[in-house]
Amino acid sequence: MSASLNSSIRDRVARIKITPAIPAVLFPLLRLFDVPAEQADMDEIVRLVSYDNAIAAQCLRVAGSPLFGLTRPPQSISSAVVSLGLNRVKSIVVTCCMGQAFPAKRWALPPVVFWRHSLGCAMVCRRFSEKLANADGEKAYVAGLLHDVGFLVNCIAFPDQFAAALKRATKEQIPLDEAERATMGFTHCQTGEILAQQWGLADEIVEVVAHHHDAEYTGKAQALVGIVHLSDLLCRMRGLGYGYYERRKVDMIHDAAWAALAKEHRELDGIDLMRFTFELDEALEDIRNLVSLAFGTGQSEV
Amino acid sequence: MSPLVQNDVTVGSAPRAAKPIDPVFRQIRDLVYNVSGIYQLEEKIHLLAEACIRRMKDLGVSTPRDYWDRLTADSGREGELRSLLNEITIGETCLFRSQPQLDALRKVILPEFLGQETKQMSKRLRLWSAGCSTGEEAYTLAMSMLEESGELLKGWQVEIVATDLNDRSIETAQAGTYGDYALRNTSEVFKRKYFVPADGKQLQVRPEVKRLVTFSRLNLKDDSEISSMTGVDVIFCCNVLIYFDGPSKSRVVEHFFNNLNFGGYFFLGMSESLFRLNDEFHLVHFPGTVGYWKPSPKRGKP
Repeated sequence: MSASLNSSIRDRVARIKITPAIPAVLFPLLRLFDVPAEQADMDEIVRLVSYDNAIAAQCLRVAGSPLFGLTRPPQSISSAVVSLGLNRVKSIVVTCCMGQAFPAKRWALPPVVFWRHSLGCAMVCRRFSEKLANADGEKAYVAGLLHDVGFLVNCIAFPDQFAAALKRATKEQIPLDEAERATMGFTHCQTGEILAQQWGLADEIVEVVAHHHDAEYTGKAQALVGIVHLSDLLCRMRGLGYGYYERRKVDMIHDAAWAALAKEHRELDGIDLMRFTFELDEALEDIRNLVSLAFGTGQSEV
Repeated sequence: MSPLVQNDVTVGSAPRAAKPIDPVFRQIRDLVYNVSGIYQLEEKIHLLAEACIRRMKDLGVSTPRDYWDRLTADSGREGELRSLLNEITIGETCLFRSQPQLDALRKVILPEFLGQETKQMSKRLRLWSAGCSTGEEAYTLAMSMLEESGELLKGWQVEIVATDLNDRSIETAQAGTYGDYALRNTSEVFKRKYFVPADGKQLQVRPEVKRLVTFSRLNLKDDSEISSMTGVDVIFCCNVLIYFDGPSKSRVVEHFFNNLNFGGYFFLGMSESLFRLNDEFHLVHFPGTVGYWKPSPKRGKP
């Protein structure tokens, strides 16, 4: 990307406005991410979440999804923290905030399709990382949820060019980033990275946003980027993509990201990838339900 | 069939049964998966429960727990598991059963073959429907290949070999006459294009479809018979290996590896898995389905 293009893109991304009430809850939460659970101030989180009644109520409904481990919505945010743990509640709150942060207009895709991909990826990242020793499932969840934040940036800041890129991807049945590069000269990874930095997201999450399409990535967040890269691919192959047929095959076990993860995690050898895939299929209905809980019913269903 | 289709817009799943499922049926689901490799998705678990209940009636067994004991008892467990598998897979056969597999073949695999120098020289394509039963899959493949005969496969010689152990199935297959149930997934366009009316309300496949398919008797457990199949590009073997014990299953899969050309593919049924049966094949994901790929020697194992 040339320097001038780079600065004009930065300017456009800087002008993106999200729903004003959101930062009050979302940004402090995202910054809390790097704080170990035992050091985080639970009262502060409960206070932040309860600050916005709409978000608090939505969080409670979402916490009742089977995907978060409860069978019915908890009574209050603090009881959710007791039964689910602080980290999981953070995931839930971030999920709900993301749904409200971006107004559902000028979307290149029906918003439910995008959120199904993001939430599906978040779920797969968490389950995938739960198979690995010492991995932080909730961090993987948030990384999966936010990995395509550049998609939203492109919808808002570059609506026409991005719609053309998506159209091309759909027509040629090629990966979106390939179509973006061909049509726009830059991808959602680059614009997402700019936004993630502006938002002050944790470094590891910024790396995920910037590099989740790069199987060969070897930077400081290699494991997390690898988990998101693979989970993203699996989602796209199992009906949780961007709503079009991607004409390709994916060999996850022989992907460079898998090999890099396997070096650190011998337990990857023991994963039954086919069963893991069937389990994602089973979660599809829950993911669809969760999208309508977390991202509102006002958004058009496809 | 899996509820998944190739894009988000049509992803759908059956509503969950309102009645809670006896946890023993989930135990049985896992047992069936571990022994046969066939996985019943959560949303289809009521079908598994119904199959178990039919078996329980036949056996005069009153509770799922007692039925579990029958399935795991030393004496007769293999026979009972086989009977249960028969119940599970009953009536699954129809034409165009696995659309994502056909899409993978036409949209991903054929273009890949077309790009291979050796394939460009030979212009031959050999597909094998192993355990073809009454021929539905073989004719589906033939029709799908005929659809490509004007474009991708122009000038190519296509051969579909279909084998089964059962002589009576082969006779039925050769007749190529099917009723409504077998044709429930076949579009009106295809019915008009590739079938002629037969007795009653049945339809018979046209001679130009039959011409592509050769049916013969073959015992997959007979080493010399199975070794005689050579130069195969893609093998389809759906819901056949589930009836085999572990060692015979491994042997058949090893044969399949040898039957295939380098770069060839092997497909199982949509709910089947090959976990730990063979480490030479690469598990590859296509949109909505999974196949096993035989790498060429220079690509080799990592």
